[in-house]
Amino acid sequence: MAPSPVPDPFELNPQGSTPLYRQIVEQVQRRVAGGLWQPGDELPSVRAVAERHAINPMTVSKAYSQLEAEGVLERRRGVGMAVAPRPAGGTATADRLALLAPALDALVQQARQLGIAPGALQAALQERLDQEDTP
Amino acid sequence: MTPTPGAPGAIALQARGLTVHRHERWSLSSGHVLRGIDLDIPEGAVVGLVGRNGAGKSTLLRALLGLQTVDEGSSQLMGCPSTALDDAVKARLGYAAQTPDLFAGLNGYEHLTQMAAVYPGLDERLALALATRLDVPMGRNANALSLGDQQKLAVVLALAHDPDLVLLDEPVASLDPISRREFMRVLFSARRSEAPRTVVISSHLLSDLERVVTHVLFLREGRVQLFSGWDDCTECLRVRACAEAPRPLPAGALHWSAAQGGRLLLDMRLAPAQAQDQPLGMEDLMEVLNT
Repeated sequence: MAPSPVPDPFELNPQGSTPLYRQIVEQVQRRVAGGLWQPGDELPSVRAVAERHAINPMTVSKAYSQLEAEGVLERRRGVGMAVAPRPAGGTATADRLALLAPALDALVQQARQLGIAPGALQAALQERLDQEDTP
Repeated sequence: MTPTPGAPGAIALQARGLTVHRHERWSLSSGHVLRGIDLDIPEGAVVGLVGRNGAGKSTLLRALLGLQTVDEGSSQLMGCPSTALDDAVKARLGYAAQTPDLFAGLNGYEHLTQMAAVYPGLDERLALALATRLDVPMGRNANALSLGDQQKLAVVLALAHDPDLVLLDEPVASLDPISRREFMRVLFSARRSEAPRTVVISSHLLSDLERVVTHVLFLREGRVQLFSGWDDCTECLRVRACAEAPRPLPAGALHWSAAQGGRLLLDMRLAPAQAQDQPLGMEDLMEVLNT
């Protein structure tokens, strides 16, 4: 029996400054790069995602097609979309870091607007990371 | 060359120089309701028609349907002139007017029966499924329905024959948020045909439109102010504080708004970015374009 698709994990914000299809693309990229989704995992169908979020199915198709073109997903006959086999060695840290670029840019921009010195920002970030390490 | 209907890139709806003069017997003011509207809406597009009250949204929809006499210009729906829509095109067309056109003494089922006589393609099961999803009290006479239920019935009737092109004029203004969500789902899910449905929907509820549109058409004082893919708007349009109207507008500038201390609307594909540029949602964009 084919494994059932992963439950729709998307958190979409239609009022956001990122288009909906981009939000889907980025969320899939992050889950796949981080190993949360493994090769062969099936994605929820276009129809299911569109229904759940009351969005245009074409938006979901656009995202899935782009992810397919990037080699993150592959189209399976009769099944839909699944996570593509990964190149040996998994996703390099540099590639995973590249996915964080928008969040890092926003962080740096807000820190500048607040007049926070680079050293203070680094310290705050380190403190946050240390907290995360201790469960 | 006009692409073949059904082929990728086919145009579902086209207008050239569509103009409607203002004819008001009781008013001395003269002017235009629509001025030189040019439009090419591709098949499968879901277009949000956005503008202030009186911008000409309803008149545009009515003109496209051939219900409003135009003074100049022309338009075509699925390759057929709006002024001479044949039965084959009408069968593929759905419309819900701003004020629902219902028969006071008929209930929902009777409206469907009436429609089935005109539209051989009407799918009663599909229509009833739609009515159930939208929670329309089909057994009640139209004159006993709340405005919201009247609108929902009008939407059911507009979609009952599985049309390929749907024009909806403020269809959800009186609906509660849950019904509006369901309405948006129904727009896409209730299809028998595989063909992509083209939808033009006017609404002031822009947060609804943000969910479903592929394109936005901003109308101001009877003119097309901006017609663009919505993803492009989100990704490429930014607003920048600018106290004085620059003359001439710099490269990439679409509009200068005097409100809020002065703002310049820019297309980042054509203008160099600056740190203070802000992205904007549909409501912000509408405000900038109309002030």
